[in-house]
Amino acid sequence: MAELHIIGQIVGASEFPESSLFCKWGIHTGGAWKTLAGLRDGQTQVDNPVSHDSAYWAHPIDIHLTTKGLQGWPKIHFQVWHQDSHGRSELYGYGFCHVPTSPGMHEIVCPTWRPSGSFQEQVSQFFLGGSPQLKNHDLIYSGADRYRLSTIAMGKVHLRLGVILRNFDKFGIEC
Amino acid sequence: MKSKHRHKQKELSKVKSPKDDLAKELRTVKKRSKAKIDETLRQEEEELAALSYREDGTLPMPGEEGEETARTEEGEEAPPTETTVTFAEPEPTEEEQELEDKVKKLKKKKEKVEEEEVSAFEAPPETPRAEPEQKEEEEAVPPAPTTPTSAPEEEAKTPRSMSMKARMKDRLRKAKEEAEAKVEQEAQEERRERRLQRDKQQKLTRFDTDIDEAELERMADERQKQLKVRWKKMGRQAEDRGVFMPTPEEAYDFFTREFEHEPDEEPPKEEVKEEEEKKEEEEEKPEGEEGEEDEEKKKDKKDKPEDEEPLIDADDVDEEGYGMYAWRRPEYDDSKETLDKQMAVLYYPEISTVPPEEKVFGEEKEPRFLEDEGLYVGIRPKMSGWNLNKMEHRLLKERESKLRKGGGNWFGEDGRMLALPDPLRPSPSRPPIPEEQEEGLEVQFQKAIVREFDSRYIDGTPNASGFYQLDIDINSLVFSHHHLFSREHVLANKLNELYDEYVLRRSLNMADYLTEKLKTAKKSALHLREHMAAHKSEHDYADRANFERRLLDYKYQIKTGREMRDREQRRDRELLKQIINIWKELKAERTKQNHINCPEKLTITREEVDKEKDQMIWKMEIEDELEEIREERQEEYERKMAEYNEELKAYQAQQEAKKEAETRKKKRENTKGSKASLGSRASKQSKDNDPSPEEIAKDEEIINEPDYPQPDKPEPPDDTVSRDQIVAKAKEIRRRPGEPKLYLELTNTQTITPTQDCPRGEQSRRDDVSKCKVFVKILFNNKEVSRSDSRPLSQEFKVNFGQIFNLKIVQWPENIILQLYEQRGFSTEMLAELNAKIPDASVSSKSVHLEDMSVECNLKVSHSHNGVGSGVSFPFTIKGLEDTTLITRGKLNCSVGWAVDENGELLVPPSTQITEGVVSAMRRMEGMADPIADLGLDGVNDPEKVAKWLDEKRIDPNDPKYADLFYNYKSKGSDPSSKAPVEYYRLEQLQQEFDFCEDEFIEENRRFKLIKLRDDEVQEFKNYKMVPLQERDIPRDTFMEYDKKKREEEKITDAKDIEAHRQVVSKFMQRVREQVIRRFRRLAHQKCLEDVVSEDAVPNIAMIGTSLLKLTERRRPLRVERKERKKVSAQNLRPEDVSILVSINRAIFVPVRASSQSGATTSRGDETSRQVKNIVGDPLVQPFVEVMFQHVSMRTSVGTGPNPSFNEELKLPFNAPNEDYSPANLQQINENIYLNLFDEVVVDISEDDRQRDTTVHKRIEKKWLGSLTIPFSTVYFNGKIEGTFKLNKPPVLLGYSRDDEEEESLAKRKSDTYISLFVTIEPALQTAEPMKERFTTNESEVLLEYAEKWQAELAGKFPKREFKTSVIDVNGKTVFVTRYLKKLEPPDLVIEMGNSDQNRAEFVARFVSLIPSVSDNVVFPGLCDIWSTCDQFMKWMTGDEEEHAVLLANFFLHMNKETWLVIGTAIPEGPTAYVMTKEGDEFWFWNAGTGEHFSKRDAYCPLQTVGCVINQDNIWGNIQQYQKPSQMTFDLNNKSAWKPFFQSGFSNPGLSSCQPEKLYYKDTNERAVRDLQEKIEQLLKNKIMEWRSRQITRWNRHCTQIMRRLLPNLEQNVGKGADQSHIDELEQSFKSYKVSGFPINLAYSEISSITEAVYSTGVHSQESSDVEFAIAVYIHPYPNDVLSVWVYVASLIRLR
Repeated sequence: MAELHIIGQIVGASEFPESSLFCKWGIHTGGAWKTLAGLRDGQTQVDNPVSHDSAYWAHPIDIHLTTKGLQGWPKIHFQVWHQDSHGRSELYGYGFCHVPTSPGMHEIVCPTWRPSGSFQEQVSQFFLGGSPQLKNHDLIYSGADRYRLSTIAMGKVHLRLGVILRNFDKFGIEC
Repeated sequence: MKSKHRHKQKELSKVKSPKDDLAKELRTVKKRSKAKIDETLRQEEEELAALSYREDGTLPMPGEEGEETARTEEGEEAPPTETTVTFAEPEPTEEEQELEDKVKKLKKKKEKVEEEEVSAFEAPPETPRAEPEQKEEEEAVPPAPTTPTSAPEEEAKTPRSMSMKARMKDRLRKAKEEAEAKVEQEAQEERRERRLQRDKQQKLTRFDTDIDEAELERMADERQKQLKVRWKKMGRQAEDRGVFMPTPEEAYDFFTREFEHEPDEEPPKEEVKEEEEKKEEEEEKPEGEEGEEDEEKKKDKKDKPEDEEPLIDADDVDEEGYGMYAWRRPEYDDSKETLDKQMAVLYYPEISTVPPEEKVFGEEKEPRFLEDEGLYVGIRPKMSGWNLNKMEHRLLKERESKLRKGGGNWFGEDGRMLALPDPLRPSPSRPPIPEEQEEGLEVQFQKAIVREFDSRYIDGTPNASGFYQLDIDINSLVFSHHHLFSREHVLANKLNELYDEYVLRRSLNMADYLTEKLKTAKKSALHLREHMAAHKSEHDYADRANFERRLLDYKYQIKTGREMRDREQRRDRELLKQIINIWKELKAERTKQNHINCPEKLTITREEVDKEKDQMIWKMEIEDELEEIREERQEEYERKMAEYNEELKAYQAQQEAKKEAETRKKKRENTKGSKASLGSRASKQSKDNDPSPEEIAKDEEIINEPDYPQPDKPEPPDDTVSRDQIVAKAKEIRRRPGEPKLYLELTNTQTITPTQDCPRGEQSRRDDVSKCKVFVKILFNNKEVSRSDSRPLSQEFKVNFGQIFNLKIVQWPENIILQLYEQRGFSTEMLAELNAKIPDASVSSKSVHLEDMSVECNLKVSHSHNGVGSGVSFPFTIKGLEDTTLITRGKLNCSVGWAVDENGELLVPPSTQITEGVVSAMRRMEGMADPIADLGLDGVNDPEKVAKWLDEKRIDPNDPKYADLFYNYKSKGSDPSSKAPVEYYRLEQLQQEFDFCEDEFIEENRRFKLIKLRDDEVQEFKNYKMVPLQERDIPRDTFMEYDKKKREEEKITDAKDIEAHRQVVSKFMQRVREQVIRRFRRLAHQKCLEDVVSEDAVPNIAMIGTSLLKLTERRRPLRVERKERKKVSAQNLRPEDVSILVSINRAIFVPVRASSQSGATTSRGDETSRQVKNIVGDPLVQPFVEVMFQHVSMRTSVGTGPNPSFNEELKLPFNAPNEDYSPANLQQINENIYLNLFDEVVVDISEDDRQRDTTVHKRIEKKWLGSLTIPFSTVYFNGKIEGTFKLNKPPVLLGYSRDDEEEESLAKRKSDTYISLFVTIEPALQTAEPMKERFTTNESEVLLEYAEKWQAELAGKFPKREFKTSVIDVNGKTVFVTRYLKKLEPPDLVIEMGNSDQNRAEFVARFVSLIPSVSDNVVFPGLCDIWSTCDQFMKWMTGDEEEHAVLLANFFLHMNKETWLVIGTAIPEGPTAYVMTKEGDEFWFWNAGTGEHFSKRDAYCPLQTVGCVINQDNIWGNIQQYQKPSQMTFDLNNKSAWKPFFQSGFSNPGLSSCQPEKLYYKDTNERAVRDLQEKIEQLLKNKIMEWRSRQITRWNRHCTQIMRRLLPNLEQNVGKGADQSHIDELEQSFKSYKVSGFPINLAYSEISSITEAVYSTGVHSQESSDVEFAIAVYIHPYPNDVLSVWVYVASLIRLR
């Protein structure tokens, strides 16, 4: 019954080894949440900055959700991909962040990681491109034991989100 | 505390110093005491025995001792250990008080060791250590060493007799007394001394290493001695084990000397001891000196372990490690008595095997062995035999007791414990172990993705992990005809074929089989007959009927059987003949050509037969058959006879009756005659005799009855004919008697003539054959993946490949094509293309069989040499082969299957793979019930299916074969019927507890619903701008329409009447439309770069050049050019900005008013009077144009005369639905712009002539003259509409006529009015982009490619012309346009209406035009080119111009007109399709939407441009300079004017039509039509009354009736003006009225459109009060519910 409106943008990404990047994103919510309007997932364009280190997408996010419970507060998950000079795409990072629970504008930086893969794969990646990817993408935001996954820290995704909450106080939730 | 410690230390040292001496003594004492104890023990009671035993338990085991000694020895030798020991002793004194605790802890650890020491040899190990100390201590502590008694010792004894508290108090008291008295003075000195001493002692110990060698040796010796002694003692102790009790004296000595800290050792019970102890205590206490109190407290503590539990208590541990604890064995009372007691209570099950007989319970004592009986018992869990036996014993025991109470049985019939098969789960499950890779954590390396995922790939990407392989085995190719065949080969091949058939037939031997069958049938029939005859009397009627039926059945069988046999025999015989013929021919050929090419050789074996016997069989057969036929005929004859008799009887009866009647009649006549002559003489008599009139009538009737035909007597059956027939037949099909039986055998033994012996032609042929090579290309999904080696063709025309191709695939197999190529010299030709079947998932390359695929190729080859060629005819002389044309054909032996890897797994894509457990279970069972066979591999995957299968098959669950299977699908829980696996899982099961509200609350929230619907772009809410913040602000009726629509969608209505049918169709269309919209909505959201980025072309040099040139151009301000307006996108629009501009220039040929003086005037009114009027100055007509759009109307000013010019621009506001100006929305608007031409009539209504000078009292009326309807979509898509349009004018316009002068000059155009106008939308709106999606197609790639090229080429030259090669059908497939044209029969009814050819065509055109028209854009937004086929069009009853045109063209084709479809542009439709026919020298263009036709030369032809012309065979593109039909040539053969699509380079491949074979027309229900007619009339009447609610509306019935009569004629005339006579009729009737009115004709689509049309004419707007109205509706039904609606409306004003 309470409503949550997320309006904002995926500003861009920084500190990635290469900067010709694009990003696939999606919003994951619990079962109590329903989307009223807006897209739950999407993909940005490829930004190939010439003079900057960081890629800018300025990809709009505008989603209107309603919920009957607090469980499963929405989180945004990302897959940052790199497009190389041959037009091939390879995975550069996974990441997720929660949508802020307080109303107002928020600047969010979401660090990303990627699986490192075996030595052979690393060599293959260095020369031929490609990347180790998760078979199960839920792992990006789920709480499964990830400690055995060897990962490499990648860059950061920058978000600017405006959060509008409605009727949460009716149910005794103060944000 | 310090003092206490010091004191204690001192005391301890005192105790220690005499240790070595004491040790010896102790041993002796012990020895003695032991002896004594031995004696006492015997007297002691049973309880004490246990106690003594415990004491004994403290004795060290030899091993322990050994260890101990070793340790101590080490301790001596190694100083560090020494120090540790010493450390234990002095440390506490040296350390500060607070450290004490730590020390104690440390000690605790030691204690364990020390405990052992203590218990082992009562401190002797301490002695060496004590030695040096002792010396010192002797100095320091003079008191006798014998005296000290340790407090703990006494305490150890006391608890046995006294209560602790009492003792404590006692001691405390004593201690206080003595201590106070003696000790205090000495205390100070003593302490000082001791400190000093201790310091020394410490030093000593520290420098223990300095002790001289001698002393060490001595120590070692002593130790040795001690050890020996101890060993001895041990030995002795071992002898008298368990008895060690010192005598009181010994005990006394013992205690006093040594064991202060070991009270446990000696727990004496005697009273004596206690007394002594008390004494000792008294003695002791004075010795305790200072710190007695502390001592007491200590004792207090030490007491506890004795009495109570904890033996080891940290606090009680002595500094020296002489703890008060001992290691003990667990107490165990194994005395006989206890054992007995226990035995009484306890039960020990035995471990011996229980004999099965005991376990089997019940009557039969024999154990059953279920497994041996074949029942499935499962695997029992494993258990050790002992345990099992014990359990069994126990259960048996229990059973005994239970039996008494009626307990249950634990043993099965097999004498084993009842047990479930194996309670362990089949699959191991356990908590994740860190070493294992968790499934979710799997990481996969993926190559960089170049393309997006494609559904063609099995695993989603081309580089997936799966490994799937198809094995294609290409074995061999055999040609059954080849162009290099020689004539001999052809024959040989034919021979081979026939021989194969012969062999097959021989093996089947159908003839014999059928003969046998026939025999049996005959026999049974005979038997049955006999039976019936024999038991005739016994059977009742039912039985007889039954037998009859059976007999009939047999007869039928015999008959059919014989026929079949005859057929078979005939075929056999023919075959034999043919083979022999061919063989003869072959031989002839061989002799003729003088060499042999093929190895075939036929051997005919004769088998001589016994002629007589044959003859007999032959005869018998014939007789048999004859008999049968005779019988049959006899039966037939009998039947006929019976019939005949019946008929005859009837006939005779009739004849007789007639005769009688005749005689009666005659009689009567006679009597009458006599009567007349006799007068009334016998009147009375005659009255009686007189026959009643009924009788007479009856007689008449009988006489007049038609005679029955005299029946013909049937012919008796004729034997002879049938006999001849049978013999002839037999001769034909059977071996004649005496004819030898022939057996054929074909061998390949003929030697082939060597090449060099052959004539030249043959040589070159053979040469060619050997040069010929064949290979096979394998195409997977239309891509060549492999090709075989090219193998030479053998002289027998066989090619052996024997190759297996392994295709590893990553894409889903769509097709596998094998292409057969032939190589001759350097040329390679494709012989054939074969489609191999994609194997089922269960077909492995091992299980698949090689199959023959027939190859055929219509290659035309002819040879100069002996090769017969292929596809060319060559002569043959044999019967059945004359002048044959053989094409290359053959058989390819090949197979396709899924590969099998080394594990025997099929390499099939995953959807067909199966879970491991199930498969293995299923593999194992190879019985008759095979789930894989029944369900297929796919089915096995589905657990539900398998469960169902299990249920259905009723498989024995006890069958061990199926045990695994059953286990896998074992029912869950108690319900055995539900074998289905559980299908749910739980996620966030606590969700509900934390919910704010119910789901329904969200569902029902109107605000949310509105937001969601808006987001889903549901039509009604698509552009809902603002959703209110509060739910209550949402209007209640927001969803009403939407809900209604939804409800309606669900409702299914039957199309009973026409109206309902139309509704259903429109609903259907709506649904199709929504589907299309939904389909393209998704596409619309996908943007490409051009959609997002608009980039202006970067100016280059050339552009600069041209723009510079422009500057130099002369300015021509008077030459106005229309600039291309910039399109405005939807976002930038404000609703109030958008308007439709209609600029009306002029109208021509407007009808003029007829003289109104003479009442109801017609076009042929009184001319003179009108002339007069004219002169007077009354205007002919005062027309104006009213434009109406979206219920807003605007009008021009009034023009004058029949050709007025307005030159006015009208600006109508335009509101898009939901204020959405996006193309997607706009293209769905199906509103129209109505232009109506009116005549403004001023009526003087001044009542009083006198006031005329001063008052003007007039009424302005408007009379409708014609209208024009332009759909908004046309304006929207074309941007603008400009031109002269023909107005739709009613055929009859009462009160108006033509201007005569015009009439003369333009006789032809007399009836039409035209209007010139320009319509556009301001600002220019963005038009929808046509969908870029490429549609699927059934057309061949080549054709479409060529079409694209052709189109592009023409479009390059003439970008503005429309060229169309392919369109989209309703299924969204691209279809080549010529496929739409096909002869189709128009409804007969329509054809019959016309009397001449042209007339008929016009009627057909009219029929087509009456089908309602809707623009495609409205139906399928975004898809402009959807063409439905004619049957779909007829079914839906709506379509746009193209559909109308196609239908009309097809009808014309059927009428044998030369017809083409013209694609071009016309006004007002814009791009459209017309039909062109050739009428003599002229070409006519038909507008299928209106049914009109125009000549090519007609300047007013609405067809403006012609792009291309299409007929069923070809498309011609217009490449002429002009595109206006009047300026063009239509000689399609002129290549410079028309570019054909199919031409010499690319001929028509013979495209079949997509149209149906025939159109089926449904008759229109007349009644429904009448009903509808009435309904419309009523509705219109009501509407008119409603529209003029301010006045009374009167209806003139008379007029209505006349009009009703007139209307059908109008339909007859196809709207071509009214028949004069009828108008005259109307005129005559209403002389006294001023009548104005007109008939309107419409195609029926819905009623609302009719009312709208009537409304727009403004008939109702007659303001005068004395007006009467007349309305008549007539519907002319055409087949298939095509209705032409005529509405005649008129207003009548009575003339004053």
